[in-house]
Amino acid sequence: MCNITVVLSSDLLAQVLDWLHDSKDLKSCRLVSRVFLQAERMHRKAIRPLRLGPLPVLLRRYATSLLSLDLSSCPSLDDVALSVSIPCPNNLRSVSLSRASGVTWRGLKVLVSVCPKIEAIDISYCTGFGDREAAAVAKASGLKELKIDKCLQVTDVGLAKVAVGCSGLERLGIKWCREISDIGIDLLAKKCLELRELDISYLKVGNESLRSIASLAKLENLALVGCQYVDDEGLYFLSNRNNSLQIIDVSRCVNVTSAGLTTLAIGHQHLRKINAGNCSPVITSTFVSKLCMLGETLNILKLDGLQLPVSALETVGLNCRNLLEIGLSKCNGVTDEGISRLVEGCSDLSTIDLTCCHLLTDESLFSIAASCRGVKSLRLESCVLISEKGLDQVATSCADLKEIDLTDCNVNDSALKCLSRCSELRILKLGLCSGVSDIGLAFIGTNCTKLLELDLYRCTAVTDDGLASISNGCKRMKKLNLCYCNQISDTGLAHLRLLEELSDLELRGIVRITSSGITAMTMGCRSLTQLDLKRCYSVDDTGMWALAQYTENLRQLTISYCTVTGLGLCHLLGSLRCIQDVKMVHLSWVSIEGFEIALRSACRKLKKVKLLSGLQDVLSPELLQSLQARGCCIRWVNKPLVFKG
Amino acid sequence: MDQKQRSSFTSPSTSKTPESFNPNYAHSQFNSQTQTQYPNPFGIPSQLIDSQSPEWDPQALLSNLSFLEQKIHQAQNIVQEMIRTNEGQNCIFSEAEMTAQRYLLTTDLTSIIIQVISAAGSFLPSIRTPFLWGNPPISQLGSSIASASNLGPSPNLYQPNPNPDCEELTKGWEENGVEEGADQIQVEDLDVKESEDVDQDGDNLPIGTYEVLQLEKEEILAPHTHFCTICGKGFKRDANLRMHMRGHGDEYKNPAALAKPVREPGSQPVPVKRYSCPFVGCKRNKEHKNFQPLKNLLCVKNHYKRSHCEKSYTCSRCNTKKFSVIADLKTHEKHCGSDKWLCSCGTTFTRKDKLFGHVALFQGHTPALPTDEMKGKNEEIDDKNDSGGVGYNNGDEYLDMKGGYFSPVVNLDSFSFEGLNDFSMTVFDPTESSFHFLQSGSPGFSQKDPGN
Repeated sequence: MCNITVVLSSDLLAQVLDWLHDSKDLKSCRLVSRVFLQAERMHRKAIRPLRLGPLPVLLRRYATSLLSLDLSSCPSLDDVALSVSIPCPNNLRSVSLSRASGVTWRGLKVLVSVCPKIEAIDISYCTGFGDREAAAVAKASGLKELKIDKCLQVTDVGLAKVAVGCSGLERLGIKWCREISDIGIDLLAKKCLELRELDISYLKVGNESLRSIASLAKLENLALVGCQYVDDEGLYFLSNRNNSLQIIDVSRCVNVTSAGLTTLAIGHQHLRKINAGNCSPVITSTFVSKLCMLGETLNILKLDGLQLPVSALETVGLNCRNLLEIGLSKCNGVTDEGISRLVEGCSDLSTIDLTCCHLLTDESLFSIAASCRGVKSLRLESCVLISEKGLDQVATSCADLKEIDLTDCNVNDSALKCLSRCSELRILKLGLCSGVSDIGLAFIGTNCTKLLELDLYRCTAVTDDGLASISNGCKRMKKLNLCYCNQISDTGLAHLRLLEELSDLELRGIVRITSSGITAMTMGCRSLTQLDLKRCYSVDDTGMWALAQYTENLRQLTISYCTVTGLGLCHLLGSLRCIQDVKMVHLSWVSIEGFEIALRSACRKLKKVKLLSGLQDVLSPELLQSLQARGCCIRWVNKPLVFKG
Repeated sequence: MDQKQRSSFTSPSTSKTPESFNPNYAHSQFNSQTQTQYPNPFGIPSQLIDSQSPEWDPQALLSNLSFLEQKIHQAQNIVQEMIRTNEGQNCIFSEAEMTAQRYLLTTDLTSIIIQVISAAGSFLPSIRTPFLWGNPPISQLGSSIASASNLGPSPNLYQPNPNPDCEELTKGWEENGVEEGADQIQVEDLDVKESEDVDQDGDNLPIGTYEVLQLEKEEILAPHTHFCTICGKGFKRDANLRMHMRGHGDEYKNPAALAKPVREPGSQPVPVKRYSCPFVGCKRNKEHKNFQPLKNLLCVKNHYKRSHCEKSYTCSRCNTKKFSVIADLKTHEKHCGSDKWLCSCGTTFTRKDKLFGHVALFQGHTPALPTDEMKGKNEEIDDKNDSGGVGYNNGDEYLDMKGGYFSPVVNLDSFSFEGLNDFSMTVFDPTESSFHFLQSGSPGFSQKDPGN
């Protein structure tokens, strides 16, 4: 046997690796030989470890080539861990510490000081972070991208630190930082002139901020979602000076009306995306007709929740020929006629969101199938009037369909038979479709082998056989929702063990499953990260042991109402190394000591816990303090505490 | 002012208020409230007054002249009295009383001069109108004239004389409708902190329409202008002195002694006075090419102290801000501590937008976090303060105790620099938990939760 490395030089190997995206494939590649391992080591630019344990080894292996480090999934990450994890001579450009609530400004300071080339930092959703953390991050003067979404304590002062410290910033996300005001935004606009992307969604800022932002000459992407104090005047400011804008999101700005949107359309000739969903609901014809000025560039238009008469949709169809994506979710008054006029003009549409357009019938699907053959994503939730005829037409014409949402559409097995012709299907949502049974799922399992996500929420007709066909066919499944499919038993669950890549599994309210089913399932589904076992009353400690033993990547777990005892809980929480979020309400068989010990054993890892409020007073204050000190968020459910043990 | 004068001479007010045994007093006060309020921040158009005051009135001039005559007689009498006393060598009058007599004479003479000028001035329409609005308090005018014209600069020019004879004389003045200083108290109360800008904005008199006076440094800085002739205690206000005098005997308790000294009747039409700062090179100095005069004596005092004197009053709370005018200090102390907006350069602001405007203006300045204001200074201390922070604590963050349980130990006592001690002690409470950091011995990080 000739040595494969002679044929495959390292740069050829690197080119091969360029095409490998799946972590499993990369893993098997690494295992081929030392040379392959070396090649992979040279090639890899980013890692996202799930645990801290192997991190030092990984970092040693990839030390110099690594550019991006994502620590957002690591539990028990704190300042010490962070400082010892990061190798000192490194080329890291990007670090993500999203939801790393255990880290403080000290850790950030170290991070910034040891990563001289750092360009992107993500500390979003660290809700305890404030100005001090922002100040620590601001020391990275070369920063180009920063996300501090939902760092709730960050005020104008923190933003000013960032603005002054990182004047080369190009992308900034300060969504949900509710303490930031117009003053801070004004300073930001004066200091960071390179800004291209800015997200100020849900801030309590007003038109003055937009006046400041208008001076940013390079701004391309601006998100203003839910800025309730912004109105048409603000958009007018924005339109007056800034012409570089390409993407604007003013959804949920309740005070923005058609007049403001019109000034936007007139003022910005290069807009690619407009999201005006859930603004002031009445849309005037002026705005729609002004869209013709953007006809060349506009790709994405979202008008969710607005009132769109036929004429408006027709004008959109005529004016926006290059539209790729349209959002019409919850638009009152959207009819088949409107849709047909729209799709006549916009034949390139690939994503069509018609969620809750209750008036639509098969006619709409016929016109979509006739005009938009390239549709990839079709959302039809709650379009109760559609039937298998329309879907048949869509499935025939749109062979490229990747995502379809039929939640609450009353589709049946024959519709699934039609849909199964779309072999490219990745996401299929059939929630609340009680007509879907094993027969339909058998078609899906046979033909849609690339399915990644399947939602069978309350599809009560589905039984174990349906799961068997899905498990046998759709081996790449990552997300499966079987909530309240109460005909499923342990046998069905056992079939799921074939889904090795399954990461999200929801089994809520399937009362018949027991620990043996859980055990059988977990033995195969080693990649599980999220599991919902709420109201699976028959699952007991044995199930917990199985989880503790096999699902070592489990991050999010709901075991409310299970018959778990303190012993099982302690073992579970102590063993799961990645566990971060546990909902354990109504565990009547767990004593207070059981809760105490279990929580102590997982104290460093947990970021989110849901408990009965009765425990608030009986758990030791030290425990609660140390949980909260590490940024763990405890949600107390106000219901009586019952102990049956 | 013609009208006002006329009324004071021709139609005595019938006011019954007890303190207005001088019939003109109440009237003048009414006038001062309605017409000549100090300062005049809004510059009520002068036409308003002009409409009330007709053109030159020969009647008023006549009254003026007759008053002059009376006044000269008075002065004559005093001088004669003095000569007589000297000749007789009767030591009825003490040395102090003699001085008081002399002051009284000076006052009379001053008043005569003012009256002459005013009589002449009523012929010149150009001075009348601005005078209404721009005149400084009469007492200050008087003293400035005294100092400027070398009539004998005396700090206690209007001090009521303890001598009963003199009291009679003063009474005589009052009966004659002599009015002076009616506004003085009111003015001082209002204007303790009158800023220099106010008068600058308030009236921009064209050059030449006012007379420029320049007091010497010593006069400006003299703390008191009214002295008790008995015990020598000094006062800033005549009213306070009069109250003080009551303690020296019953003779000072009668209404005549307690009443405000009346203003001299002809004192109004004095040319407008403006003041020059004695500091050469100052914009407020008359030599300066863009000379901007000061409006009144209070402005002179405050300006001179603020601009050319040492700031000797330190805020007891922050120990950093210094002031030369005590009223400024008091104003600051009211807000001290609420100056929470601090720049990295050390400048404090009461308002966030002001701080951010400052930060926007200067390269590299950032708003300071609530607890790291002493950044620069702190870093020096860092070396000495070896509290085990390896790499993580770059000094500037020592003061942060936000986290509570992380709290690095801050050797608060080592902060020797002025002003921080009090502040840091109040802000940070070095509780027990803060010592975890030292004791843990781990490089840079405090020991974590006790649970682990």
